[in-house]
Amino acid sequence: MTTRELQTSSWIPRAARPADTSTARARNRWTLLLRGGFAGYVTVLVALPLLALVVRGLSVGPRGLWEAITAPVAADALVLSLVTSLIAAVANGLMGLAIAWVLVRWDIPGRKLLSALVDLPFAIPTLVAGVLLVALYGPQTTAGSVLSTYGLQIAFAKGGVVLALLFVTLPFVVRAVEPVLRELDHAEEEAATTLGASTWTTFRRVLLPPLLPALAAGTVQVFARSLAEFGSLAAVSGNIPHRTLTAPVYVLGEVERGEPASAAAVSVVLLAVALALQLASRSLVALVDKRRV
Amino acid sequence: MSEKVLIRPHGGARWAIVAVVVAYVTVVIVVPLFALVATVAGDLRRVLEEILDPGALHALMLSAVVAVIALAVNGVAGVVGALVLVRQRFWGKRALDALIDMPLAVSPVMTGLAFLLLFGRGGWLRPVLDAAKLEVMFAFPGLVVATLFVTLPFTIREVALVLDEIGTSEEDAAATLGATSWQAFRLVTLPNIRHGLELGTTLTVARALGEFGAVLVIGGAISGKTQTATTFIHTAIDERRDATAYGIALILAAAAAALLVVLQRRPRKGT
Amino acid sequence: MMLAVLALSATSCNANRGGRERKIVVAAYTTPREAFRHTILPGFRAFWKQKTGEDVIFQDSYQGSGAQARAIIEGFEADVAALSLDPDVAKLEKAKLVTRDWRTPPSQGIVSRSIVVLAVREGNPKNIRDWGDLAKPGIEVVTPNVRTSGGAMWNIAAIYGAALRAPGGDAATAQRLVADILGNVAVMDKGARESIVTFEKGVGDVAITYENEVFVAKREGRKMDYVVPRSTILIENPVAVVDANARKHGVEDVAAGFVAYLATPEAQRAYADNGLRTALASTAGDATAAQHSPGFPDVEDLFTVRDLGGWGRLQADVFAKGAAYDRATASNGKSRR
Repeated sequence: MTTRELQTSSWIPRAARPADTSTARARNRWTLLLRGGFAGYVTVLVALPLLALVVRGLSVGPRGLWEAITAPVAADALVLSLVTSLIAAVANGLMGLAIAWVLVRWDIPGRKLLSALVDLPFAIPTLVAGVLLVALYGPQTTAGSVLSTYGLQIAFAKGGVVLALLFVTLPFVVRAVEPVLRELDHAEEEAATTLGASTWTTFRRVLLPPLLPALAAGTVQVFARSLAEFGSLAAVSGNIPHRTLTAPVYVLGEVERGEPASAAAVSVVLLAVALALQLASRSLVALVDKRRV
Repeated sequence: MSEKVLIRPHGGARWAIVAVVVAYVTVVIVVPLFALVATVAGDLRRVLEEILDPGALHALMLSAVVAVIALAVNGVAGVVGALVLVRQRFWGKRALDALIDMPLAVSPVMTGLAFLLLFGRGGWLRPVLDAAKLEVMFAFPGLVVATLFVTLPFTIREVALVLDEIGTSEEDAAATLGATSWQAFRLVTLPNIRHGLELGTTLTVARALGEFGAVLVIGGAISGKTQTATTFIHTAIDERRDATAYGIALILAAAAAALLVVLQRRPRKGT
Repeated sequence: MMLAVLALSATSCNANRGGRERKIVVAAYTTPREAFRHTILPGFRAFWKQKTGEDVIFQDSYQGSGAQARAIIEGFEADVAALSLDPDVAKLEKAKLVTRDWRTPPSQGIVSRSIVVLAVREGNPKNIRDWGDLAKPGIEVVTPNVRTSGGAMWNIAAIYGAALRAPGGDAATAQRLVADILGNVAVMDKGARESIVTFEKGVGDVAITYENEVFVAKREGRKMDYVVPRSTILIENPVAVVDANARKHGVEDVAAGFVAYLATPEAQRAYADNGLRTALASTAGDATAAQHSPGFPDVEDLFTVRDLGGWGRLQADVFAKGAAYDRATASNGKSRR
């Protein structure tokens, strides 16, 4: 699901505007009312709480912020979040492209089912996703015990964190790349093949470049989403400090410990990263839109 | 634009890619889903008993009610917001646009913390709440507020997408024919955005049902009061009531599958 | 006891209340979950219905004792607080939420008791016998976080007290034992229940926990054994009406009735069925009855908080800022990571 830079609709020239009748006045009143009401709603619902969070987080001062994120458990949690999110971004970036490719260009049996499965993570609660993984790989299951004989632990281990993130973020790149892929002009591609280019060269030089912005945007979204993930990890990771505890779960721990300041401080850092990623994603999406039109 | 032709993949390399893709999706998505179904089926009688537990049913009902409220409020706000964002120009529009996307970037736990800082003891809005004798923390209103926050963007974005594409020509025509704003909206705009609205509200409901972190912090998972379906599952696992947890999880997964059907009907057209 | 409960219900408003619904909110620590939900809450509902004709609806919440106390102070409007240790109820007193004198003799508001034990893997492969074994290098320990969990505080008090009471023990050796054991801690969960569940997930060689947590875990089919150290502490769990909230909700009578009910033989039996040692008809701070409870292993040296000078002394010596616990963690921090 992509976000789009919204364009205003066509501006009506003065001459064409309806005369200053009561209808027009009513329409203007409505316009302002709706605008004000909506802006007010969003401000109170979103801006206010986030402001409270940022203020509280920054109130500890730069030294406090540094101490909050370098506390041993916090530091390890942040590192784990970053590393696992990176893995998820790379894996689902590549696989997302492949999946979109298969869905858009090739006619295979079960295409509709595949498409539905890809959308499933959008519909399913993240906690349930985590429960699924525990049901499959938990300590008392066959899969769990088989894997552990090979030294591979999924539930309550780092493997579980990565798998959960892969599940939850699977659709992002697919849905970001799909529309672009769908609209690719085949003419260039056909030309390249006629000129004797190999499949790989055609892919690399003709098909990939227009896909890159969408691919990048989707990958960034996967990364951001993974950093913020909580529900599935609360179920499957075991939340073991220094081992499987991620940043959002750490924040929860601080809140429950009665340390809202420390929680807010780490949150501010996460928020800053999320904002930076959002900006990156939006500019990449704008690039996609520019190229599409 | 040249014709889109779906080809059958030929050549070993292409089928290899298909195989990898199918294997990946199977391992990541299908197998865990299957494990849940299998686990529940294996202990079906016990699961059925457990999910008829009044606590479980109350939790499901609470989640449903909160989801419906989110659907209604953010559905209306979504349409209004889309109209405002797409068709109006004003100072601060960019900021508003960015604000709307924020809930997608914020981790649920941080959302809960943010509201705790507003409504908890010593919070910014606490005096207002106390004066109005309103209980938000550890109470139903808190669940609603948290859910409204996390579901804000969905309807707005989907409707805005549609509005952006169709422009105002039809409404303008209606205006010249003498229709009032409301008539134009009801008879022209609404039918046009129906698809976007459908998609947006489906995503809203899915997200509302799935909300866990924020609801846990704000509500406290109080049995019979603020225990939603998701926090109920979490509590059940803590109580070692695995059968109950899996049962409710399966119900939520089934609801998700139903919502999926609507999601799949999204138009797959390009511009 | 029964008479007291009857009297309480009789003195409440005498208006005809047949068939009326009363709702009370119970905030408890993590451990009595099963005892409450399976037996005690339904038992009270039946009891109250019979006495007054009213239906009682419970809204119950379970989390670490310290976290629960904090939530109540933060605005969680619980009518009854069933916490793990006296100091957590004292916090509510300090916040003026509990206003009556709830420490009524003889039990001083205590409704259940247990002891601190060491949960180990089936067959005790690491041969853990006493506190000293937890300090050995290479042993991984699981215990909850003192900031949020009452169980954690009992655990630390047990270690500290055992060291003090050992031959040649003093404050210095006690602090050292706490430091050494804390140095081996792999995970600090937020509640006793979460802690034992982590142990079940495969983390750690030994979990310091309530005896009744192990009882419930084994009843649910989890594989573990437990060891009673030579010297350990008697855990006493208090319960009190949160007067400010109960008054606000108009359920003072039900709340008081519930607290009184917890001391009845019926409720005490439910506690015992869930692995808790009896508090019935025993004086607070007197460990003799618990030391040799039928159906439970004997304890060689079962001491109480009173033997350590009371909670005031313990708080000051061990849990206050900069006291023994903080010094122990700090000394570990310097040598770790």
